[in-house]
Amino acid sequence: MSSDDIAISVRNLGKTYRLFGHPGDRIKQFLSLGMKKYHNEFTALHDVSFDIKKGETVGIIGRNGSGKSTLLQLICGILKPTTGTVNVNGSISALLELGAGFNPEFTGRENVYFQGAVTGVSKEQMDARFDDIASFADIGEFIDQPVRTYSSGMFVRLAFAVASKLDAEVVILDEALAVGDIAFQARCFERIDQLRNNGATILLVSHSMQHILSHCDSALLLHRGGIAVSGRDVASVVADYEKSVRVGHEVSYPSGAKKNENMRTDIQEKRFGSFEAFIDTFEIEQDGVVTTVLKPGRETVFRCGIKATRSFRAVALGISIRKPGTADLWGDNNILAGRELALHEGWNLIEYAVDFPLSSGEYLVYCGLAAISGSKRVELDQRWPIEKVTVVTDRTQIGFIYAPARISVEA
Amino acid sequence: MTYGEISRTMILNPIRIVTDIWRHRYLLGQLVKRDVLLRYRGAMFGVLWIFLSPLLMLVIFAYVFGQIFQARGGAAESNLPFWLFLYSGLIVFNIFSETVSRSPTSVRGYPSFVKKIIFPVQILPLVPLGAALVHGFFNFLFLLAALSWTGNFHAQALLFPLALIPVILLATGFAWFLGAWGVFIKDMTQIVPVFIQMLMFLSPVFYPVSAVPGMLRPLYQSNPVSHVIEFSRGLVTGQPAEWSVWGVALVISLAVAILGNFFFQHSREEFADVL
Repeated sequence: MSSDDIAISVRNLGKTYRLFGHPGDRIKQFLSLGMKKYHNEFTALHDVSFDIKKGETVGIIGRNGSGKSTLLQLICGILKPTTGTVNVNGSISALLELGAGFNPEFTGRENVYFQGAVTGVSKEQMDARFDDIASFADIGEFIDQPVRTYSSGMFVRLAFAVASKLDAEVVILDEALAVGDIAFQARCFERIDQLRNNGATILLVSHSMQHILSHCDSALLLHRGGIAVSGRDVASVVADYEKSVRVGHEVSYPSGAKKNENMRTDIQEKRFGSFEAFIDTFEIEQDGVVTTVLKPGRETVFRCGIKATRSFRAVALGISIRKPGTADLWGDNNILAGRELALHEGWNLIEYAVDFPLSSGEYLVYCGLAAISGSKRVELDQRWPIEKVTVVTDRTQIGFIYAPARISVEA
Repeated sequence: MTYGEISRTMILNPIRIVTDIWRHRYLLGQLVKRDVLLRYRGAMFGVLWIFLSPLLMLVIFAYVFGQIFQARGGAAESNLPFWLFLYSGLIVFNIFSETVSRSPTSVRGYPSFVKKIIFPVQILPLVPLGAALVHGFFNFLFLLAALSWTGNFHAQALLFPLALIPVILLATGFAWFLGAWGVFIKDMTQIVPVFIQMLMFLSPVFYPVSAVPGMLRPLYQSNPVSHVIEFSRGLVTGQPAEWSVWGVALVISLAVAILGNFFFQHSREEFADVL
């Protein structure tokens, strides 16, 4: 691997903050020339090394306080490393906090040009991009109003529109998309995919594992300031994250089910969980026939065969349906239905029956199982997706919802 | 770009400092524009205040010192009315005082620039200077107009901006130094204006150095601001310019600017940790 291929190279990176109890202590520290220590130290990041190749999209995940933001700030050069080096090959556009650097007193237009100036984009270059930015932000006449009059949604849209149009070789997004609505998020990811296709290197921090799974080539899990796992097997990194968040302690895999075993590769299934209980079989039945070609409006049974290595007093079993790249079109689980479910050791068969509500097309079925104890939730087996179904209808209609109109004219 | 070594190579090299600022000139220009406009935004007369405030000041000086006190120029050898004598000294001093008194908040006031975006923070302390120079420019225009109107105009007065270079450098140095300290110590915001006020009375703004008792003269000789005030006022009154005085002030100021930059670059690593 030649160094030209590397966009970001991090070596033995560490960051230790000096915490002063009182502002005066900082002066004492300064005057003592290191003879005496007037502060406590807090190490946010220690001995982190990795390389990111050009054009790669990398998800950085970890619990709060695991050092994600510190790492990004170090990569941007905003913070100075205490130890080690960061090498970035190319220009960076960072969206660490939405609209940071926006001045509320100035109009959207003025702020767009100012953001350009900050990153070294001249007025002429910005003129050429402005219409594109304005149309992406989609805030209409507000572009000439002071930013303080914006709703938070408008603010987000404008900030993302600018940051993604600065033509940087490295784009860093920290939780940037958590604020927008679903339609906006979808457009953002369209933009991110565009950037990817143009060869940009992207670092994405998100707590949405779904975003990480569907958009990243590799992932990096930080834990207490160090890299816990990283690699191109995004699903397994995500699985480790889910474990660390939801379980809080290490869970050994049951002998019956190994991680990533028995996955549906034809539909790019991402599967994770502790597998203490796992969804072994999944069938969809209509009119007494097991099938993946469905007709809407009929009673449809989703049948989950679950193997449990021990008994569980309470579990949540959820099924949802989506189109690739969209949010759930439909979803339900036993908690929402007000029905408690328990598992006994060995084989459990659970059926969910619904009047299938979707219109013609192809859909992905997602299924997830989690153990519930009090307010804690432990992922047992998440299968994203578990099945692909094709829905056929007797006539064409618009959209995803099956509700054919019956037309009548009053005489 | 590799982080860890950038600031070290820039330090103490005036050419590097200048090219660094030059690289960010457009951004700096935008920041200054925003700073100036923001001050007048929402005011009924708006940007007109840039003209109005120096004009009002000049009119008040002319009325109080010209009509009421009937004061003559400080230096015996000049015929300059005292209100113009005062005004020309104040232009110089205001550039210094406006820059320096605002510098402790110049970085502290923009935590998101320091922490949340990739931003050349070293230009932030220069923003108050830019704004001060904008105001100084209009003051200068009014000075020229008033000199012509009272028949005291000498072609030499056009060199006035050149005479300001040392005070600009000096203000830059202090701005960098105080901009950095202001991040760490909030008290600077309170302390600096007090010192500025003291400095105003200890600088030959209201009086010429020649009026100072001999015993206190060394105090004035070690103060570059007073050199520049005296020198630039000399240009206005039409006295022969002593470029050697200007040269000494320039050297001292340049050293202060370089040291200020050194201090700023040295301590900026910790800005993001503190803010």
